[in-house]
Amino acid sequence: MDKSSSHRLLPLKRNWWLKHRFFKLYMLREATVLPLVFFILCLLAGMVALLQGAESWQGWVDFMGSPIVLVLNLLALAASLFHAATFFVLFPRVMPLRIAGHSLPDQAIVAGQWAGVVAVALLFFWLLGRA
Amino acid sequence: MSTEQVNTNNTSTKHLSVKRYLPDNSAESYWQEYELPVDDSTSLLDALNHIKEQLDSTLSYRWSCRMAICGSCGVMVNGIPKLGCKTFLRDYEGDIRIEPLSHFPVQRDLVVDMAIFLEHLAAVKPYLIDDNPAKPYDPTAPETYQQSPEQLARYKQFANCINCGLCYSACPQFGLNPEFLGPAALTLAHRYNLDSRDHGKKQRMAELNRHEGVWSCTFVGFCSKVCPKNVDPAAAVNQGKVEAAKHTLIALFKG
Ligand code: SF4
Ligand code: FES
Repeated sequence: MDKSSSHRLLPLKRNWWLKHRFFKLYMLREATVLPLVFFILCLLAGMVALLQGAESWQGWVDFMGSPIVLVLNLLALAASLFHAATFFVLFPRVMPLRIAGHSLPDQAIVAGQWAGVVAVALLFFWLLGRA
Repeated sequence: MSTEQVNTNNTSTKHLSVKRYLPDNSAESYWQEYELPVDDSTSLLDALNHIKEQLDSTLSYRWSCRMAICGSCGVMVNGIPKLGCKTFLRDYEGDIRIEPLSHFPVQRDLVVDMAIFLEHLAAVKPYLIDDNPAKPYDPTAPETYQQSPEQLARYKQFANCINCGLCYSACPQFGLNPEFLGPAALTLAHRYNLDSRDHGKKQRMAELNRHEGVWSCTFVGFCSKVCPKNVDPAAAVNQGKVEAAKHTLIALFKG
């Protein structure tokens, strides 16, 4: 084959993902990590505050209650739910589960994962409710 | 999109813009416009044939089977990789832009150089690898290549690939790094790894379990959207990641 033709190949531009709705949705899925990073930093700051004593703990509690932080963390919650929704649909394609030689239907696996989310959420509500 | 009421009555004139590249005349590519009569049954490949026969014999493009099985007629239609013979102009309104497949070097008009794709396919040893040395015919021996329908079902979907390369044009990771083995090659490797008659998984892991293998994939998933044969290469590649991770863990414990 004519190897000299390879100069016709242009490298991908940085904005390749703006070309198509499907790629934008993919970038949105990947971007859900950003608000989650903020949430993790909040948690880390909370642990440091806890070690530093009562005063700085109270400062952290006030910080977490401020409207802008609440909004950012609600965004993080929404982002993680969106990411979960996309991930749960992909999961049966990556790990098709088979029981006794029969593959489980995809919807059953997706439903099972959401049931897991609800169960964990209920467990935490119960634990926090008792405290 | 309805297939029930396809008829040849709805004739109209449509407008096609084709990206031309004629290296003998000019180093630059350019857009050329064509007007042609179409009806509900006109495929994009029919349209290109009409252009070549009636309007402009200098146009180059590939095709053979015209029934979505040879995999040679892939082009970009409005930026999305499609088989020309499986794309119908009745589904398009307004501007229809035809370009050569993305991420491959263009040789001439709609003809691209697929050499790197073929190299990647060959790299994953896409054939049955059997440990047993060739045996002389022995009527009492168990039949080596017997396979149950259940065993066939495990890989059948991944065996439907026609090597059209549309998934490579859909894959931004291949666009960024052509050394990435890519959707179809990794799917083909997985197809043989899942085959009950095959014993070559270990050998293929050397190719799959590296950065240019399964680990370049970030599950964009567009490959599976554009695949004309519903192979779902994204699923195969990501199942390959699970296998590659298992392989690494096992190697770790074996020392
Ligand atoms: S996996 Fe699908 S899109 Fe990719 S080469 Fe095979 S048939 Fe074409
Ligand atoms: S001409 Fe063979 S796949 Fe289109």
